[in-house]
Amino acid sequence: MRALTLLIAAIVLLPLAVRPAIASEIWIFAIFGLGLNLLLGYTGLLSFGQSTFFGSAAYVAGYLLKYYAIGIPLALGVGAGIGALSALLVGYLCVQRSGLYFIMLTFALNQLFYFIAYQWTSVTGGEDGMPGIPRPALFGVDLRDALHYYVLVSALFLLALWLMKRIVESPLGSILQAIRENEVRADALGYNAPRFRLAAFVIGGAFSGAAGVLYAMLFGIVPLEAIGFVFSGNVVFATLIGGSGSLYGPIIGSFVFIWLSESMSVMWARWPLLLGVAFVIVVLFFRGGVVEAWSRIWRFSKRTA
Amino acid sequence: MLYALMGLGLSLITGVLNIPNFAHGALFAVGAYFLVSVVGLLGNFWLGLLIAPIGVAILGLLIEFAGIRRLYAAGHDYQLLFTFGLALILNELIIVIWGPVGISHLPPAILRGGVDLGFTFYPKYRLFVMAMAGLLVVATWLFLEKTRYGAIMRAGIENKEMVSLLGIDIHKLFTLAFALGAYLAGIAGALTAPIRGLSPGMGVDMLGIAFVVVALGGLGNLLGAIAAGLIIGIAQAVVAAYWTEASTAVIFAVMAAVLLVRPQGLFGIR
Amino acid sequence: MKRREILKIGAAAALGFPAIVRAQPKEVVMLGLWDQTGAFADVGPLNDRGMRMALEERGMKILGRPIKYITRDGATQAGTSTRRAEEAIDGEGARFMIGPWSSGVALAVSEVAKRKKVLHFFSGGTEDISGARCHRYSFQWAASPYTAAKTVVDNFMKANPKAKRWHLLVADYAFGWSVEKYIKEVGKTHGLEFVGADRHPLGEREFSNYVQKAAANKPDVVAMINFGGDAVAGAREIFNFGLTPKIPLIMSWSSGVEELIQLSPEIRENMWVGTNFYYTVDTPVAKAFVKNYRAKFGTPPGYAPSAAYSMTRLMLAGFDKAKSTEVQDVIKALEGIDVNDLLGKMHVDAATHQTLRPYFFLRCKTKSQMKEELDLATVIATGDTPLPKEYAACKDIGGF
Repeated sequence: MRALTLLIAAIVLLPLAVRPAIASEIWIFAIFGLGLNLLLGYTGLLSFGQSTFFGSAAYVAGYLLKYYAIGIPLALGVGAGIGALSALLVGYLCVQRSGLYFIMLTFALNQLFYFIAYQWTSVTGGEDGMPGIPRPALFGVDLRDALHYYVLVSALFLLALWLMKRIVESPLGSILQAIRENEVRADALGYNAPRFRLAAFVIGGAFSGAAGVLYAMLFGIVPLEAIGFVFSGNVVFATLIGGSGSLYGPIIGSFVFIWLSESMSVMWARWPLLLGVAFVIVVLFFRGGVVEAWSRIWRFSKRTA
Repeated sequence: MLYALMGLGLSLITGVLNIPNFAHGALFAVGAYFLVSVVGLLGNFWLGLLIAPIGVAILGLLIEFAGIRRLYAAGHDYQLLFTFGLALILNELIIVIWGPVGISHLPPAILRGGVDLGFTFYPKYRLFVMAMAGLLVVATWLFLEKTRYGAIMRAGIENKEMVSLLGIDIHKLFTLAFALGAYLAGIAGALTAPIRGLSPGMGVDMLGIAFVVVALGGLGNLLGAIAAGLIIGIAQAVVAAYWTEASTAVIFAVMAAVLLVRPQGLFGIR
Repeated sequence: MKRREILKIGAAAALGFPAIVRAQPKEVVMLGLWDQTGAFADVGPLNDRGMRMALEERGMKILGRPIKYITRDGATQAGTSTRRAEEAIDGEGARFMIGPWSSGVALAVSEVAKRKKVLHFFSGGTEDISGARCHRYSFQWAASPYTAAKTVVDNFMKANPKAKRWHLLVADYAFGWSVEKYIKEVGKTHGLEFVGADRHPLGEREFSNYVQKAAANKPDVVAMINFGGDAVAGAREIFNFGLTPKIPLIMSWSSGVEELIQLSPEIRENMWVGTNFYYTVDTPVAKAFVKNYRAKFGTPPGYAPSAAYSMTRLMLAGFDKAKSTEVQDVIKALEGIDVNDLLGKMHVDAATHQTLRPYFFLRCKTKSQMKEELDLATVIATGDTPLPKEYAACKDIGGF
């Protein structure tokens, strides 16, 4: 409960510190990260193509929002559904492999989706992206106001967090972790590893898809980058930096990553250099990400106290 | 041909070191930029072609020594994070040093102009690149197949523990493999520079293609990587003749199709 | 759990930006959305020069109020550009936006302008800004793609009446599509046969496949509808493969000087160029601008800095006419405005927000014809036929 209270405090305080648009982006990215972390942290699968699901959902839901004027609940449902469906497709091709193969496959399939989105200009707008995504009202509330939208986004984030918590604490979650720890053993216990991995994929994909829809509505555009590998990379890094070993890692990672990129990019055009350096430092010294760094500092200060 | 070169280098690194080298594209780009600088300094393309890839290989040595060395036990996610971070750093450094604007670099005077092959008019420089890349691939293959070092490397791909048990310094092996892989990427980049021109992002597309080649050829299978590189290159040229826009997408489609049927790649054994 | 909690508070607090520095109420904040990275990384700094020069000519003041000029790197990407534009509008109070350079990105940015109700001036090859996607806040400086196509095709055919088989090489996004459409339309009136039309991605550098395909079609002329680095790379490959100078090469929408100097005189032989601005244009404003630009930067200006320069001047003329710095007043003043500026007579059509002005068609000089290093081409024709009413897709520019 303590964590929850603090999260709520963060949600309330955040728009006071940054623009509501950035605040929304942080929670959306956190949802994206939660989806990824089910695969990365809990199942031990480094999916380097999450933007496939994020982007596909954004395009499909965006298209429906724009041309068929659907409402938000339906858009979110479609988003999660498309995310899950594309994850099913990709997952099916990938779960048979492991290790490097798996990573490369997810990456390459991401590129395939990217190029389809790029070429199919009549639908996706190709290079130009799909602009003009509306933000329909919900329960009579006009969501075009940035702050109103933020309320919706943060509420959905809490919902997503709750869902993810339930999932990882459920038997499914335990099985996934068991598979990560020792696949042979899990297999011996009668759990069909590929099938459970696929399940993780689908669930992660659904979360990513929902995040994609919210992203499209936040910026009013589905940019081509949303389905590109840089985006896939971003969510992996944010999660690793936050710490993939905990449920809250992706959240912290999202904070750090979005804050860094938004503030740095205005100051120095070469900020990705710092980002790269940050990655290198994290890998060499702080494997557990921010969470681990913090706990180390905490322990250290306790000792010297 | 260039694809085979890139694929070979990456396959070597991923096979021997078992890490996903997301900086491979960046090394490619660095090779191209080094070429421009060396030619700028020394005024000779051939010297540039000789020196630039060595520069990249040295860079590779440094990277392996300073970073990758520590990560062998770390798990793929961290290796990925590291090499990707490296790619970002290299990319940005290129922009800092050489500027964000694309640079054109013309081929040396003897290789300019084209050759009338009867059925088509083909630029001389491209023919040169094909020949050169082919030569390099053959040379690398000979090195791996016929020399002792090559045999050790191939053994390292198959079974690292065995190799170290046999008393061979596994760390030297890894360093060498990485440097060789970097060299191949660097020379591919240097060769490409006069064709495509240079821009900081030039490594990104190559990275994707290199991964496809490796996946298609079978992880760890060096000959497979060569074959896959050629296949991909030909497939792309063929598709480009009919449906030019899809020529890049087809690479990934082919890979997806093959892996669906044969998950271990065309020639993979694992 | 405790650590995580404190960490989260820390994170939230750490995100507390210092009080957002808002522009003083007296300042007029103008945003130049210029790309410093991505496919148009080389164009951004040129745009910046032009806009800055125009603002400095006025002493960074308009109607007695200081002008704050800020720039943002759109990275030639729709997502990044819209975000940065919004940040500049919300965070810095920018109410007047010029750019970006890429037509596709501009369409997305135009939506931001509409949503945030800021004035948006743009120069590019897509017809949609003054066409299907027109709205009250966006203005188009470049010639309509129709005007461009007509100028290029009509005048080229006058000089090469027998060249009926055309092959097109088109950049695959908004700008390419618009210009391609009208070249084909105008081509119909000349009885042209389009033996091929290939699209390539923005930022493409590997043109060998496209060129070989073009060669296979045995055209009388190759027309490129692309820009900047793409055009340079394409022209070079077309030359390398021996297509030119045997057959003529047309660059339909070029940046002029900036692209041409990257090519050698051999490549430029038998090249015909359509452009929004060329530095030998004979108007008082152009002459002064070219002189100052050359003095400052060493080379004559091409399309990119001139467009930024002219758009800024046009916008400031709107301020002058409106005698106000309010967005809606300036917009109303711009609608129907007539100026005698960089390109001579320029008029902003109130119904579509399209600037009506001349488009230039050049023929490149051979090495022997060049009197000096920068004597690259002669302007052989200008055209300013506006878009005929039957093509006009902007039916109602809408309200505020």
